[in-house]
Amino acid sequence: MDSFGLASERLKIPLLSDSISAGFPSPADDYTEENIDLNEHLISNPFSTFFLRVKGHSMVNAGIKDNDLIIVDKSLRAKTGNIIIAMVDGEFTIKRLSIKNNELYLKAENPNYPDFRFKNHIDIQIWGVVIYSIHSFL
Amino acid sequence: MNISITEAIALIDANNFYASCEQSINPHLRNKPLVILSNNDGCIIARSPEARALKIKMGSPYFKEKERLNKLEVAVLSSNYSLYADMSKRLMNLLKNYCEEIEIYSIDEAFVSISRPNDKNLYPWAREIRTLTYQNLGITLTIGIAENKVRAKVANKLAKNIDYSAGIFDLARKEDENSYFKEISVDKIWGIGKQTSIWLKSKGIKNAQELIDMKENEIFKKLGIIGKRLQLELKGYKCLPVEKNNKSKREIQVSRSFSTPITKLEDLTQALAIYAVRASEKMRSQSLQTSAISVFARTSKYSSQNYQRIVHKKLINATDNTNVILKIVVALSKEIYNPEYKLSKAGVLMQDLTKCQYLQQSLITYKSQEDMKKSENLMRTIDSLNKKYNKKAITWAITKKTKEWTINRNLLSRTSTTDIRKIPTIVI
Repeated sequence: MDSFGLASERLKIPLLSDSISAGFPSPADDYTEENIDLNEHLISNPFSTFFLRVKGHSMVNAGIKDNDLIIVDKSLRAKTGNIIIAMVDGEFTIKRLSIKNNELYLKAENPNYPDFRFKNHIDIQIWGVVIYSIHSFL
Repeated sequence: MNISITEAIALIDANNFYASCEQSINPHLRNKPLVILSNNDGCIIARSPEARALKIKMGSPYFKEKERLNKLEVAVLSSNYSLYADMSKRLMNLLKNYCEEIEIYSIDEAFVSISRPNDKNLYPWAREIRTLTYQNLGITLTIGIAENKVRAKVANKLAKNIDYSAGIFDLARKEDENSYFKEISVDKIWGIGKQTSIWLKSKGIKNAQELIDMKENEIFKKLGIIGKRLQLELKGYKCLPVEKNNKSKREIQVSRSFSTPITKLEDLTQALAIYAVRASEKMRSQSLQTSAISVFARTSKYSSQNYQRIVHKKLINATDNTNVILKIVVALSKEIYNPEYKLSKAGVLMQDLTKCQYLQQSLITYKSQEDMKKSENLMRTIDSLNKKYNKKAITWAITKKTKEWTINRNLLSRTSTTDIRKIPTIVI
């Protein structure tokens, strides 16, 4: 037994089963597959992936809205253009890692919010790369 | 038994693990002094390096330190074990990809085996693991490398003590190992307990080098084969293998300290019932069944009273059925109860665990197959409902009355990496 695998601990309920003892077997029985598991499709590095909840509006134009659930992979190396979580002077923030005039900065995706320039802050660290944002329409 | 230069064993452990977990997911705690308290907010059980630098002592009772911690603006948190367990799981899985075999030794340390490359240099390997773990989990590791487990433990200690080691120390690559062994006091050697170190010191053996040089038969006479093995390992022979963890657990324990001591049988029974329900769930989640159950209770280590009692019960048929286990635990709770003592901790142990599919049916079964199937289905349904809705959607009535004795965790960090309602919030 894999005593510490995350995937193996997930409970999987098959859509159909072959326990019907009377009548004709379902013609679809052979085609039964497991449920779609979003973990499997969205997360390639489960051991370095974290979920966070967003409050605020500075990234609306990038599609990250207030109260969205974001998925962050800490194992990825951030590239310019990525949306990242950074720690700026002891606070988490989400911004787009951008480059302008050879200078790296963190770009807000909402004109009402300021960008962060690396040289204006004592301590900027990249915490992880945002890989998905999940928004509820209800 | 051989001295191997191609096969190495490393002891990898996380520095200030609990504090690092908290600092990793909460930027406000970064680079700040932080201490973590034990269950019931009793003692300080972990400190961030910044708190360490303030000379805050490990293990000291919170009530004694409270004022000083306040004055020094040290952040104080109750232990958040679900966070630490999740981070530990992530850590061990990362390590698994970087070694041949791994033995998880505790929540934050593991022995791993690894072959040395042609140039015998494992520093690049160790540096990569350290960088990766820091980047992915925000956790800093110490890596001690040697020929065997006992020496790997020593190497780990040296990696921590020697400033220029940068968290990595390879004892097998040192020419002057004697000088290092002289620095290691015998009571710091893995496997030497308090009594043994007193005995060794009475014989004039104070450090690891003196233990290596001690007469073999003198050790053997006093400490038997265990002592002999320990000495051989210190000399560089390999006696203790890295034990793979895919063996199933030998026992499952659920125990807690109470915030206020228990004196009533009713309360003790209820506490044990809750632990029994939890232990049964744990067993089922690993497809295990128990054939021996123990329950225990004891007074506080710090009280003047001293009482502890453990009772066992062997089962004819292995079971994972909460109903069956509850009945036994409730009966046993009466046996360990003693009205004269204030009990501060109790627990249940599921022992002689076997995998469900290997289960041997005894010739006399008390329940018909039908009944067994039914109760098995019931347990499975309860587990899946609890998993789906929340931990205690369905439980047993005995666990439900008001309790005065539950764990006190006033300063619990709210954040979790496993419960979607408590994941970190990020203001943008």
